[in-house]
Amino acid sequence: MIKKTLFMFGFLGIVISAVAQQVTLTNIFSKMDMNPQHVLWDGTNTMLMGFTPLMMTPIDIPGPTLVYTEGDSVELKLRNMSQSASHSIHLHGLDVDQWNDGVPHLSFEVGHNETESYFFKAPHPGTYLYHCHVTSSLHVQAGMYGMLIIKPQNANETWDGGFTFNKEYAWMTSEIDTVWHTDSIINYPHDTTTNLRELPDYNPQYFFVNGRSEHQLIDTNVAAITAKSNEIVLLRLANIGYFGNRFVFPAYLNAKIISSDGRPLPNVVISDTLEILPGERYQVLLKSTIEFSDSILVSYFNLNTQNTENTQMIPVNVSGSVSVFEAFTSELSIYPNPVNDKLFLSKFTGEFLIHNVTGKSVIQGSVSSTNSAIDVSELSKGVYFIKTNKTTTKFIKN
Amino acid sequence: MEFLLKLRNSQLVNKLVLGIFLFYFTFTTTANTVNKSLYIISDSLLTVDNTKVPYLTFNDSPTYNQSNPIINLMLGDTLDLWIYNTDNISHSFVIKGVSAVQSIPANDSVFLQEIFTTIGSYIYHDPSDFPKNTYLGLAGMIVVKNHNHASFYWNIKEHNSDWNNQLFNGNTVNWNQYDPKYFTINSVSNPNINADPLARITGQVGDTLYLHITNTGLSIHSMHFHGYHATIKYSSKSSAHVGREKDTFPIYPMETIVLQIVPDKEGEFPIHDHNLVAVMGNNIYPNGMFTTILITP
Repeated sequence: MIKKTLFMFGFLGIVISAVAQQVTLTNIFSKMDMNPQHVLWDGTNTMLMGFTPLMMTPIDIPGPTLVYTEGDSVELKLRNMSQSASHSIHLHGLDVDQWNDGVPHLSFEVGHNETESYFFKAPHPGTYLYHCHVTSSLHVQAGMYGMLIIKPQNANETWDGGFTFNKEYAWMTSEIDTVWHTDSIINYPHDTTTNLRELPDYNPQYFFVNGRSEHQLIDTNVAAITAKSNEIVLLRLANIGYFGNRFVFPAYLNAKIISSDGRPLPNVVISDTLEILPGERYQVLLKSTIEFSDSILVSYFNLNTQNTENTQMIPVNVSGSVSVFEAFTSELSIYPNPVNDKLFLSKFTGEFLIHNVTGKSVIQGSVSSTNSAIDVSELSKGVYFIKTNKTTTKFIKN
Repeated sequence: MEFLLKLRNSQLVNKLVLGIFLFYFTFTTTANTVNKSLYIISDSLLTVDNTKVPYLTFNDSPTYNQSNPIINLMLGDTLDLWIYNTDNISHSFVIKGVSAVQSIPANDSVFLQEIFTTIGSYIYHDPSDFPKNTYLGLAGMIVVKNHNHASFYWNIKEHNSDWNNQLFNGNTVNWNQYDPKYFTINSVSNPNINADPLARITGQVGDTLYLHITNTGLSIHSMHFHGYHATIKYSSKSSAHVGREKDTFPIYPMETIVLQIVPDKEGEFPIHDHNLVAVMGNNIYPNGMFTTILITP
């Protein structure tokens, strides 16, 4: 008996230890171009600072997209091979603790040839950013940014119990003023003794979606959306530039704005126009019931004059179809989850059955377009499943 | 007995208790008449690099201050306000969305009385020759609250010193080519913002903190919080924004918002404009719209 107990404690210890050591490690490099290598739409080459996933990978903008699952314990290891300035990683919107927030004078910066790690637990599912916060006005403009995505356990949901989708795209907008990318501005000596830095006026000439513009957005697949009719597309949008963006979606896409800055909106907004200011992120659901080809327009407006200074067009092609049944099934959503009193079914009318984890039916009924609330206040705490003729969805009763 | 237990746990009882509390609160909190005076004074703005820029402000005494005063009211209060124009040209006065425009001849005064029945932040300013006089500094904040939580106040704005000189010399400017060089909160820039107790957010873990922001400049700003998300409690631009939980808050010219922050951890975290050009002051980084929130255990 004693042996058995000791064995069980030993086994439990190993399990706890294994769980405690489960850390998702991501390596990332910070670098600077020695020569202009990033090709702009008109054939001009420009110099960048940036993040790369491997030592030998050329710098591109945006940097690598970092994807984690809600609850992941993450170690993000930054190796600074920049040859000059020190760098950091600010996990924009993740609300990490001060030490891991990436602001040099409030935590640490990583000097040339140094390696340091940022630790965090992946929070709310959503769309986030990361960028260098050393002399941030310069280093962000230089190209030191990327997207960071947190997914829920069910990767086809926007968040636990949220909207489901069939496919997703991530667009990061930015601009470049090539004056800031000249050797004398971008390649300044490593100096941690002063925070002050004189920088030029900002008058960008190039306007990007995922680091590309004009014909590059048509010639490459960096942003173009392809989908079937009735397919639900999740579009993740982030603005790391210093201009405002105005997105105009074709009416056929039935754009539905569902969340911002990693949190669901209290009320979904149905609109074909969305403005995103510097540092903001939004998530938008798109679904067309017909086949068509068009473009999503992205305008870049000056925040001082509010004048639109550029517009980019990203192709959208909807062809073929998935069945309405399939799309309907994937669209069923419930909220709130976990639930205290009333559970709401979104976009569903008809009969339902709620059963517990043993399969025992506990509530049966129907919901209509005028009454979509189900009273679950009498249920005991625990995990339940709500079943319709389309799908089965898990929820938690508090 | 079973009935009583059910009753005790029911939402009805919770609502009843809440109702009694609200009834008590309503009838024990008395609305006051708040007497204030504002003096229009022409002087200058001292920028972060010690440049003196011609400037105008409302002041709560005949002594010049480059920051417009914040008028704090509780819900239901009546504001009795005298505005004295000490300038040698005429001005006007309005509380945006609340009062009618009143003209104030040079070296004259006007009286205004308003009852505030909606919580929020309001802009008072000189709307004459708009946006000229508002741009030159004549714009401040009135806050109407229904709580006594710690509150902080940002009147955010930008400045182009050449334009101020041009406008004070009677010249015109092309407002479509606005290119500001200085970015301020309550008329000062980083690192001086943290020295302003009205602007620098401080508190403890679990506190409920309120930040009232007005944008009395001409640019759109996009204020980003490190460390915490905040909830929009009031937006003059759109009531549909109320309840949104975000880390980055666009604020358009002449817009006001009220944010609620409930810090879940200790630390010192930046809050800054994410138009990173606005983090500079006359092209020097980081002498712009940058401050920190300080939360203790």
